[in-house]
Amino acid sequence: MVRFFFKTLLAVSFVVLTSTWASAEEAPQTIRFGAVGSGYGQQVGTQVVSIAHIKGFVQDEIGNPAVKLDWNYFTGTGPAINEAIANGQLDFAQYGSLPAIIARANGVPTKIILSGGGTNIYGVVRSALSIKTIADLKGHSVAIQKATILHWSLLETLAANGLSEKDITILDLKTADQLAALAAGSADASFGTVNVLPLRDQGIVRVIYTSQHDNPRATGPSAFLVTEAFAAKYPELTKRIVRGFVRGAQWVAQPENREEALQIWAKSGVSYDSLKQEYAGELLHDRFDPRLDDFFRGQYADGIRFSKDQKLIRKDVDLAQWIDPQYQDAAFASLGLTNFWPSRNRDGIAATN
Amino acid sequence: MTDRSLIARPVAHRVRWRTPSFDRISFYGLPLVLPLAVLTIWQVATVRGWLAPQILPSPSDVAVTFIDLFVSGDIVTGLAISLRRILVGFALGATGGLVLGVALGRSIRVEQYVGPSLRAIAQVPSLGWLPFLMLIFGLGETLNYVVIAKACFVPIALSTAAGIRNIPVRYIEVARVLRLRRRTMVLRVVLPGALPTIFSGVRIALGHAWIAMVVVEMLADTAGVGYMMTWGRTLFQIDIVIVGMVVIGIVGFAMDAGLRATERRLRQWTPDHV
Repeated sequence: MVRFFFKTLLAVSFVVLTSTWASAEEAPQTIRFGAVGSGYGQQVGTQVVSIAHIKGFVQDEIGNPAVKLDWNYFTGTGPAINEAIANGQLDFAQYGSLPAIIARANGVPTKIILSGGGTNIYGVVRSALSIKTIADLKGHSVAIQKATILHWSLLETLAANGLSEKDITILDLKTADQLAALAAGSADASFGTVNVLPLRDQGIVRVIYTSQHDNPRATGPSAFLVTEAFAAKYPELTKRIVRGFVRGAQWVAQPENREEALQIWAKSGVSYDSLKQEYAGELLHDRFDPRLDDFFRGQYADGIRFSKDQKLIRKDVDLAQWIDPQYQDAAFASLGLTNFWPSRNRDGIAATN
Repeated sequence: MTDRSLIARPVAHRVRWRTPSFDRISFYGLPLVLPLAVLTIWQVATVRGWLAPQILPSPSDVAVTFIDLFVSGDIVTGLAISLRRILVGFALGATGGLVLGVALGRSIRVEQYVGPSLRAIAQVPSLGWLPFLMLIFGLGETLNYVVIAKACFVPIALSTAAGIRNIPVRYIEVARVLRLRRRTMVLRVVLPGALPTIFSGVRIALGHAWIAMVVVEMLADTAGVGYMMTWGRTLFQIDIVIVGMVVIGIVGFAMDAGLRATERRLRQWTPDHV
């Protein structure tokens, strides 16, 4: 009897699920997601996308167990994600503004559907040096990887402190090489993400600046993107997936989930301690605000201007054409989250509503 | 009558086929067949859109980028830096390799002390040393020189030693009988006898050095042709990457061709019996 009951339940739920699908659109067999990874071959990152993945929000919103979700965390980050999108190997991606701007300017067809939240950027100097402030960097060598949000954030911060790139020597290095260069003394300073914290804990470097604290506008922005091809072919599915991402951001925003979120992210290869320091004294609600508001648009506009100034892109990028807020608006409305995150102005100040 | 013409025709035909002009065509033309075929497939692939244009730009786009980079001086500046590195690194590595190689070839004691270690070191690719050398030398020209010198040091030392050891014993014996001075013996007997083997080592070494240099520039430098390629990938302008590949290939080929020509000269100079 019990067995019969379960069988019927299974059959009914199967029919219900498949029929809701048949009414809308053909589902793809696999949906491919790409994001930034930190560790070697770890299948999780440190952003909202990993929450939506691990906590099953996207799977839940799609509601069709036949659709396989393929999550890829790239340690090669920006260029690798760009190549995968252009090669038709990804449908959705969450990554930093600069590589995405570069891909867009080169004609890779994507849409920005949500803000991914910011990455704190740390300015560190070798412990032996007497550098105390950004202004003291004058005449020193700073290791960063060019054409990344770190490069962008460094120049924004220099400008905010009355310096320009002519006042320093930029060493273009990948993260691991930056750490080696600092340890070997061939670089005086570096701008990096949470990855620099272990070096500080070993006493090799001192942190003299954090973007979240000193200049929020230069905190590394990221966004969720969908390929134009996928959004055009599966508009309904795209909406569901964006709802899944937004539910991820909403879950992260609950203070009672903070600890669990850090535990999930700690599986990425970034240590729990580093993550704890990354978000210390801050609400994850604010850091992972998914709104495509003026603050987000301003950061991306800055990124585009920077890319043109630095001759990273040959063609202009029209931000208004690129950002498509319809999925986000639909998700906020259907989840009752329209006022959950306040809109921020250009400087990141939340509007009082 | 008919018989004759039947016999005559193939002969005449064969004579025409054997003209020297055809030999010249095959000498210069056949090596171009493969590149032209690749170019054709490439062109078809881009016209048909088999790959996204961001992944595989068309040959004409690459040609335009090549001209742009050439006119703007980016290629020339990058290449000048790379060539200076290869010159310095190769000079250091080759000199060291030659000295050690002569010692290894002439002295059994040196071979016993150093030979096995050298052969063990040779098994670790130069780039396997890179993370370690970066920590020791930091980033900069020294690192480039050391990696390039290391890449050519080992093959030159080993080939020099082998070349010297393979000189027929009777030559040395004759030289001893003639009571040649040590200097004369090295200059007149040992080096000419070993030269062909040494030189093939030099060619291999230069190839290794060139590859090592490109990879160091791609991974740990901010100038040179290798860096230009990494930068092209970062900017998602694969045309720049392809231009870099073409330049590296052509320059490497030219260097090898130069060495081969020198090698032919040297073989003419050394007596046949060696």
